[in-house]
Amino acid sequence: MLAYKIYIKILFFILISLIISAIFYAYYFTKNYPLPITGRISFDAKITFIKEHIDRKKVDTIIVGSSIGLNNVQGTVLENASPKCQSVLNLSVYEATPTQIEQVLELTTVFPNLKRIIYSAQYSDFGYAGRLKDYDPAFIKAYLSDTLTLKKKISFYFHSCQNIFFCIQREWNWKDKYMQNNQFTYLGFDSTGSVPLHIYDKDIIMTRWEKPHFDKQSKQAFDALDRMSRKAKKENVDFIFVAQPYRGPLVKNFSHVQPVMQSFADQAKRIVTKNGGMFLNLHDQLHLSDNYFADRSHLNDQGSIIGTKAIGKFIDQTD
Amino acid sequence: MLFNSYEFIFLFLPFTFFTYFYLNKKRLTEASKGFLVFASLFFYSWWNIAYLPLILVSMLFNYTIGRQLTGKEKNDKQGTRKSLLTIGVLFNLGLLGYFKYADFFLINLNSLLHTDLDLLYLALPLAISFYTFQQIAYLVDSYRNETKEYDFLNYAVFVTFFPQLIAGPIVHHAEMMPQFAKARNKIVNYHNIALGMFIFSMGLFKKVAIADSFAIWATQGFDVADKLNMIEAWATSLSYTFQLYFDFSGYTDMAIGIALLFNIKLPINFNSPYKATSIQDFWRRWHITLSRFLRDYLYIPLGGNRRGEGRTYLNLFATFLLGGIWHGAGWTFVFWGALHGLAMVINRAWQKLGYRMHTLLAWFITFNFVNIAWVFFRAKDFDDAHKVLHGMFLGPLVLPVFLTPKLGFLAGTPIVEFGQWSQIFYNESLVLAWIFAGFIIVLGFKNSMEAREKFQPNLYYLFLTVLFFLSIFILYRKSEFIYFNF
Repeated sequence: MLAYKIYIKILFFILISLIISAIFYAYYFTKNYPLPITGRISFDAKITFIKEHIDRKKVDTIIVGSSIGLNNVQGTVLENASPKCQSVLNLSVYEATPTQIEQVLELTTVFPNLKRIIYSAQYSDFGYAGRLKDYDPAFIKAYLSDTLTLKKKISFYFHSCQNIFFCIQREWNWKDKYMQNNQFTYLGFDSTGSVPLHIYDKDIIMTRWEKPHFDKQSKQAFDALDRMSRKAKKENVDFIFVAQPYRGPLVKNFSHVQPVMQSFADQAKRIVTKNGGMFLNLHDQLHLSDNYFADRSHLNDQGSIIGTKAIGKFIDQTD
Repeated sequence: MLFNSYEFIFLFLPFTFFTYFYLNKKRLTEASKGFLVFASLFFYSWWNIAYLPLILVSMLFNYTIGRQLTGKEKNDKQGTRKSLLTIGVLFNLGLLGYFKYADFFLINLNSLLHTDLDLLYLALPLAISFYTFQQIAYLVDSYRNETKEYDFLNYAVFVTFFPQLIAGPIVHHAEMMPQFAKARNKIVNYHNIALGMFIFSMGLFKKVAIADSFAIWATQGFDVADKLNMIEAWATSLSYTFQLYFDFSGYTDMAIGIALLFNIKLPINFNSPYKATSIQDFWRRWHITLSRFLRDYLYIPLGGNRRGEGRTYLNLFATFLLGGIWHGAGWTFVFWGALHGLAMVINRAWQKLGYRMHTLLAWFITFNFVNIAWVFFRAKDFDDAHKVLHGMFLGPLVLPVFLTPKLGFLAGTPIVEFGQWSQIFYNESLVLAWIFAGFIIVLGFKNSMEAREKFQPNLYYLFLTVLFFLSIFILYRKSEFIYFNF
């Protein structure tokens, strides 16, 4: 047993050491890894990516969506496929619901020359309507446009202190989980922020390959689509909604898939076109074989090239 | 300013602590008390300075009435004193009623009389339910001649002392005033600092690491109440049951720990309530200082158990009904209070009949009753509560697909399905693990007050304090305490 005074001294010495170490670690983390500011690692990584690699003023085309936007549309391919898409940014976020995409699109004001938004999705994206928590678009916009106040800058660098364990976990996982292009968590962006998947043969996860999504659809998700497309029109930005391909055998063998896909496409088309946007159904147009899929709804690298070229062609024809 | 915020932990608390003891060291004891009142009011005003005048007026009014009651004890007529007390209590209840229940009253009036009276949309002043109760107790005790003649500064410290100001424990003047007056409490006490740090860090851990984790699943579940299957609904209600306990007892631990730094011992407020084996036992373990207040200032004045069995049942029921209303202006709170009142009546009748129940069964019934009743406490309205309860008892039972080979024969039954057991929870595999851990903690571990008894300045408690204190590195969620709403 220690004397109380000694006990207190040791306790405070440990606590102060921990706090100082945490501050140093937070600074190191901020310099090397995506800062946890949006609650989604792919979005955090994208914010850092935009800050470091994208000329905001040149961006004319933004791709949004969940992984269906991130993996299925390749910005670099689109830049080559369509002369109208000079500078593409893929702003998609893994697992983002339409209501979350709506939140992401609050950032578009930092891209002054934006001409079009491409929303890439499949029916499975419209089953939920969650929102990003602890998401502060004003802070992110200020960060991206270099207008953070000194106080905010300091809070930015030491933001990681608020969740050190999360940062440590993120750092540990970074190489094995987020830097492997044969995994669905891959975050190795191409020059436009897209993430082509190199998932073939043994890397395919059979449960994701063989079983379709549930047929759940959320009204709030479609409401968000309505608001997004209306907002784009108001801001004089083209809004293109792309219904992405789904594995044919699943559509054929599971009775619930065809009706829900059809209903999803019909609703999305009605909403988007009503608001002056455009609709493209790649599933019906391409009829891709299994060779181009990484699972039931994600295209592999080759599939996404085909899909993206089709989008480019569509833009050229309709823009 | 939240206890679980950096500004509180690293700025407000150290500054207040050092200044308070510095002033005491310089023998400026009145100044130190004045500083403590100022710091507490600053702490209170951090949320919204607009309510500062309200607490000041409330304190001044109650102190004046209290002094009058104490001063009149010998010479004045009983009637005058009673009138003074009535005015004092009505003022407090009026204040609480106006800010907390006005819109509830108007909504019901509009609904009943088909009128269209405008609502007031008043924001509930923080802590009003707590400081009102404390001051009612002071007035009643002044009337009973159970108070001493405190000066205003002492009274102000008693009401505003920041560790307990916002959400209790509901302290009694008789247990607080002597502590503030005691000379030994004005000197830094290393034992209390060590113990206070330990209890504070434990409370911080309960709130930040445990309650806020359960909060995610409870919120997700209640947000989509109509879509819950059976397992999801139970996971939702249990998540809230654990969230509420760890949130409120975590807050209380932090309050007790902080108060100890200032050599003030706050009363115990929780004693492993989910270990209770009867509803009476539960209320002896849950929010103990509220139960104490309701017993001393409502149940006993109503007659308690001294006016026959029938009246006792009525008093019990009325006490819990009003306890429910105290928690919030809504019919779900009223119903929650009524449920507990009814359970207390049944419990008493059962005891009178002399029947015994196996401890495990008694615990099971008590815990499930409390868990189900919390659904009404948490739900926005009856419809929401009904949806969650429907899911818990009549929702489809979705079993994991890997059980199909063994339990496939159940697939034909109307309520059993095989598939993904949860579609609503983010990271659903963690929910069940956390609920299991929640049970282990509340049933298998010593509570913080028991741990306090065992505390010694050794490496084990040093390690535990540091471990719990690591919660400051997950403060990113910045969630308020549930009882701040009451």
